[in-house]
Amino acid sequence: MAIGRPLNRVEAREKVTGAARYTADARLPGMVYAALVGSAVSAGRVRAIDTTRAEAAPGVLAVLTHLNRPQWHGTPDALRYQETRFPLADEHIHHHGQYLAMVVAGTREQAAHAADLVAVDYETRPAVPTLDAALPDAHQPVWRFEPEFPTLLAIGDPEAMLAAADVRIEREYRTPYYSHAPMEPHATLAHWAGGSLTVYTTSQHVHGDRPVIAGALGVPPDRVRVISSLVGGAFGNKTAVWGPTLLAAVAARQVGRPVQLVVTRKQVFTCHGHQPPILQRLRVGANRDGTLQAIVHHTVNGTPVLFDRPEGAISPTGTVYALRSVGVRVEVARMHMPTPATMRTPGDGPGMFAVGSALDELSYELGIDPVELRRRNHLAAHPLERKPWSGKQLLECYDEGARRFGWERRAPRPRMMRDGGDWVGFGMSSAQRLEHHGPARAVVEIRDDGTAEVRTSTQEIGTGNLTTLTQVAAGGTGIEPDRIGFRSGDTTLPESSPTYGSRTTGSTGTAVHLAALRARQVAARLAIADARSPLHGLPEERIGAAHGRLYDVDAPRRGETYRELLRRNGRRSIVEQGFHDLAGRDPRFSYATFGAHFTEVRIDDTLRRVRVTRHVGVFAVGRVLNPKTARNQAQGGIVYALGGALMEELTADPVTGRFIAPALTDYHVPVNADVGEIDVSFVEEPDYGAHPLGAKGLGEVVAVGVHASIANAVYHAIGIRVRDLPITPDKLVAGPR
Amino acid sequence: MDTFDYRRPASVREALRLVAGHPDAAFVAGGTDLVTLLRDRVRTPGRLVDINGLPLDGLRWSRDGVRIGALCRNAVDDPRLAAAYPVLVRALRSGASPQIRNRATFGGNLLQGVRCPYFRLPEFACNRRDPGAGCAAAGGDGRLLGIFGTSAACVAVHPSDCAVALVALDATVVVEGTRGTRRIPVGDLHRLPGDTPHEEHALRPGELVVAVEVPARPFAARSTYVKFRERASYAFALASAAVAVHSEHGVVRDARICLGGVAPKPWRAHAAERALRGERLDAATVEAAAEAATAGARPRPDNAYKVELVRGVVRRALTELGEK
Repeated sequence: MAIGRPLNRVEAREKVTGAARYTADARLPGMVYAALVGSAVSAGRVRAIDTTRAEAAPGVLAVLTHLNRPQWHGTPDALRYQETRFPLADEHIHHHGQYLAMVVAGTREQAAHAADLVAVDYETRPAVPTLDAALPDAHQPVWRFEPEFPTLLAIGDPEAMLAAADVRIEREYRTPYYSHAPMEPHATLAHWAGGSLTVYTTSQHVHGDRPVIAGALGVPPDRVRVISSLVGGAFGNKTAVWGPTLLAAVAARQVGRPVQLVVTRKQVFTCHGHQPPILQRLRVGANRDGTLQAIVHHTVNGTPVLFDRPEGAISPTGTVYALRSVGVRVEVARMHMPTPATMRTPGDGPGMFAVGSALDELSYELGIDPVELRRRNHLAAHPLERKPWSGKQLLECYDEGARRFGWERRAPRPRMMRDGGDWVGFGMSSAQRLEHHGPARAVVEIRDDGTAEVRTSTQEIGTGNLTTLTQVAAGGTGIEPDRIGFRSGDTTLPESSPTYGSRTTGSTGTAVHLAALRARQVAARLAIADARSPLHGLPEERIGAAHGRLYDVDAPRRGETYRELLRRNGRRSIVEQGFHDLAGRDPRFSYATFGAHFTEVRIDDTLRRVRVTRHVGVFAVGRVLNPKTARNQAQGGIVYALGGALMEELTADPVTGRFIAPALTDYHVPVNADVGEIDVSFVEEPDYGAHPLGAKGLGEVVAVGVHASIANAVYHAIGIRVRDLPITPDKLVAGPR
Repeated sequence: MDTFDYRRPASVREALRLVAGHPDAAFVAGGTDLVTLLRDRVRTPGRLVDINGLPLDGLRWSRDGVRIGALCRNAVDDPRLAAAYPVLVRALRSGASPQIRNRATFGGNLLQGVRCPYFRLPEFACNRRDPGAGCAAAGGDGRLLGIFGTSAACVAVHPSDCAVALVALDATVVVEGTRGTRRIPVGDLHRLPGDTPHEEHALRPGELVVAVEVPARPFAARSTYVKFRERASYAFALASAAVAVHSEHGVVRDARICLGGVAPKPWRAHAAERALRGERLDAATVEAAAEAATAGARPRPDNAYKVELVRGVVRRALTELGEK
């Protein structure tokens, strides 16, 4: 059985040998290069822009600005473009780094050099640089498109319940600007041929990109092909079309040659999104026995000046714990910031930091163990959908996590655990992420040489999805994974679900599963109908498949290979499609993935820096398709959130709002030495209500709650409650020694 | 990046000739810092003189100490160096990443640019980059900036770990110019910003660092380097201390304490050294020295935490030496 085996990644060899081809590696004959000029000011307008020196520089083919750019087609809103303004739209400047010009030249160096020669005369206006400066503007957001979550909601009477509660806490939590900081910068290679456009681009959703690109360039979608090979890190920032993709296509049309545009490392921090700063005010009321009575959660996040973009940090508030009343209010405040983007664990990441920290603070107020407090507020059903959760093994996750971690050794109060010069602290948090899904299509072809191929447009963004989907196809067809090829990342292929929102396993996985089963079924029927087949005349349910062979389940030696069957019948192949339908779920349940995090931190008392020495994560994600890629993804998610908890911050200048750490030297992500022992395990129980494979999304729930678990451990170690991430050393020097 | 004239001389004499009379010429060795400054147009030399072909690498030992070639890479792996000057090897190993250490040189390490984000982003005003332009860091985010030796014109910190250790070892740089050879104590190599932060070091135009001489001192072998940073590796110091102590009969005769990550140059903590001389290296002395190391600190609200870090790195380093 291929499913459940710890298979190595199918693209592992290419990646470790350097043979793997990413978008920036794509080459076409005659290709030339574009470079972007970003605004040096955060607000204002271009009074004049002088491109004469740039145009005269060696190798330059074109310089485009708002004054001479070709006309855009459509509108950003109608096309559901990420921003409300197409690049180079006009002379107005709304954020630092905004594109003011694009240079196209014969080499990358020539383009970069000429970009430096573009002289801009700015009219500068004062910027709103920080969330604090923006707070007077806090307002209820107007959604550009359909609302994704309630921005104002009350269930029960939270104010009255708070007033009546035995214990109340009121706290403020903050998260900073976070960058996705992918290793791979946004890259595009655009090529026109006979009115058709081919775009190689770094994308988490090629079919989603196509109509936007086609619309903005004024060509029918069927004349646009989008290709995304291996993606070198995305974390949500490649979910949408960004300016450079459109600009590369414009440039290629302008100069009549293929144009490559790879943004610079600095532009990675301003050109394709970040998570804006979020302020969260939480009021929590509970009774002495620990039962939660009310949570009132008010958030304000920074939004670009041109449109409202609310962050869903209230996502966990009403759905994680049993509550008698809930109140949420989501507001946004305008800042001169580059356009944000959805980021791995949107809403749940920052939201669970606040809720998970507040629960911890409450546990000390009440004198109840943090795990026990969560158990007492276990939620059996989705409170808004009013349906029981399917596959909720959260209590088992607590038990297994506490056992593996040794939670019983935890001292009841902070500053009680020392080891030499180190303070030692234990912390924990729950994890939860609603199980999103979307329509997905895939094709599986069984061929007369005994191999098979999966075709679906999904992108490999580093999660191992090509491997797990190959296993799914192997499970369905009974053909070994090493005999199965994969074609992906191309709009000429059937449309998968996007590779964001932890959807691949559930949605695309189901499509591949159904396609594989259908292909096998067609083969089985062919055999049954074929008088020359050893399986002739058998009832369909008696036909099994394994090792590339169909056989009689009651007499396994009776059977034949796909190869023999197809060749004898003169069939080159069997091609079948699978479709994941949104109606495919069991409607009696609500769906989410769950988990529990346990963290040990150590803090040297003389030089206080938080070290995560042990972390235990236990997750309930239904069936695990591949323990190796699953563990890898969970460890990666924990490290990712560890960075956000302890060091990641896209520092902004307090006067201009410009990011002052736009480099991986200064934007600190964890290095290997920062990562202690990470123990990942699963409470594995297939959730067939969610999907026929019984498997659910994994990529995000593993990172939800880690921030709180670490912050809670820091408090337990040293008695300092940090409510303002990241927990850098400057926040630990004060306080008792 | 701007265009420049690129030269690769084969001798020191030729290198000096190539920069003589070219005030916009710059030497490049490992390039680990200069290339990023070129790329971001923080530095815009008209001529780049690549000295990697010069015979300036290798260590030369003598009774008086060791002479380290300016092109010696920061990944220098020499057991004798580690035994004679532990503080130096620890400082080198705490810096950058293995890839950068393999490439970066001693001369370049000493002369790397300051680590002020406002210096490195040309969109901001910076007196060091552009004399008289003003200092955006003054009203900006100063969490990483200096608490000693800064001025109204500049609050940047020098990032080198190696230089901090070399100051603690009384090391000297040997420079060659068309007018001959000079020796400059490493402690005098970097200048405090005052009103002229663009005058970063004591080299005269056209001079080339050819070597570093580290003398044999009684305190050199009992020395260490403690670096504190935001993550476990591959980050500049928030604060660091190079400490060397010579004791006789349990009493400190001589000591060096030099701080990194807190000033525009390696910051010699003379008061802390005085607190050690004539004392036994016990907990009380360590505490007194750690406190004295903060003398003269002028932090801002956003980097006041560095004062405590200074106490911490000095305390940690002295405690480590006291246990030896």
